[in-house]
Amino acid sequence: MLILTRKSGETITIGDNIRVTVVEVKGNHVKLGIEAPRNVIVHRQEIYERIQEENIEAARQTPVDLGQVANLWKKRKQEPEES
Amino acid sequence: MEKTQTGTRRELNLSQLPDTPLANFKTVRFGEIQYSPQQIIRMDRGILGFEKRKLYTIIERPEDFPFKWLQSLDDPGLAFVIMDPLLFKPDYRIQISSAEAEIIKADDISKCIVFVIISVPTDPSQMTANLLGPIILNTEKRLATQVVLSDQEYSTRHRVIA
Repeated sequence: MLILTRKSGETITIGDNIRVTVVEVKGNHVKLGIEAPRNVIVHRQEIYERIQEENIEAARQTPVDLGQVANLWKKRKQEPEES
Repeated sequence: MEKTQTGTRRELNLSQLPDTPLANFKTVRFGEIQYSPQQIIRMDRGILGFEKRKLYTIIERPEDFPFKWLQSLDDPGLAFVIMDPLLFKPDYRIQISSAEAEIIKADDISKCIVFVIISVPTDPSQMTANLLGPIILNTEKRLATQVVLSDQEYSTRHRVIA
C-alpha cells in the first residue's frame, strides 16, 4: 500500500481524473473531498461490507415455505398497529 | 445526482411473448423452470457478495405475495426473497448516483422499479429488509444493480413486521 502524508487542503491525484482532497482534519476525523468521473462509484467501505454480509445472510436464510411467511405478513398487516 | 423514488407500483411485465424460445434451468428450490429472454434480468456487477452471478429472473407466485423470488440463472441454489419496500416503509426514498443510473441505462427513471432483499430467519416474524442496499431494475432494458446508499438513516436490517 502506498502511504502519503497530506495536510488539510492538500490533494492527491489518482490516474488522470480522480482527485482526493483533505478538506478538514479534526481529531481522528478526516473529511475528504472526492472528484471523480461520473462513471466512478464511490462509497464508504464499511457500508459496502455491511450490505455484502446481509446479502450472504439473506441467501443462506431463505425460507422453505415462503407462502407461510406471506400469510404471516398479510395477517399482521390486517391487525391494528398496537401489536 | 439523479433522484428516484419507489413510488411506482406498476407490476413487472414478465409475460413472455408467444414466439420467443424458452430456456430451461434446473433450480434447487423450484425444480426445472422455463424462462424466455424477456424474463432475464442482467446484473453486470452482480449482487454484493455474489459478484460472479450476473443473470437472474423474478419468480412470482400468487401464494407468495407480497414477496417474490430473485432466482439466479447461473447458480441453481441461489435465490433471494425480494419485496416492494413501500409496502412496509411508505416514506422510503433513495437517491442514486449518475454512475449507478448509467449501469442500468436508466435514462428514464419512470421505467425503473426498486425492490429490497428480505432476510427471513427461523422465526419469520423477525424478518428484516435491507434498505441500505436496494436493487433498482430498469424494466424496459432488463438491467438491474444493487445500490450502496450513503444514507445513514437506513439499515441493512429493517424490521418488516413492526
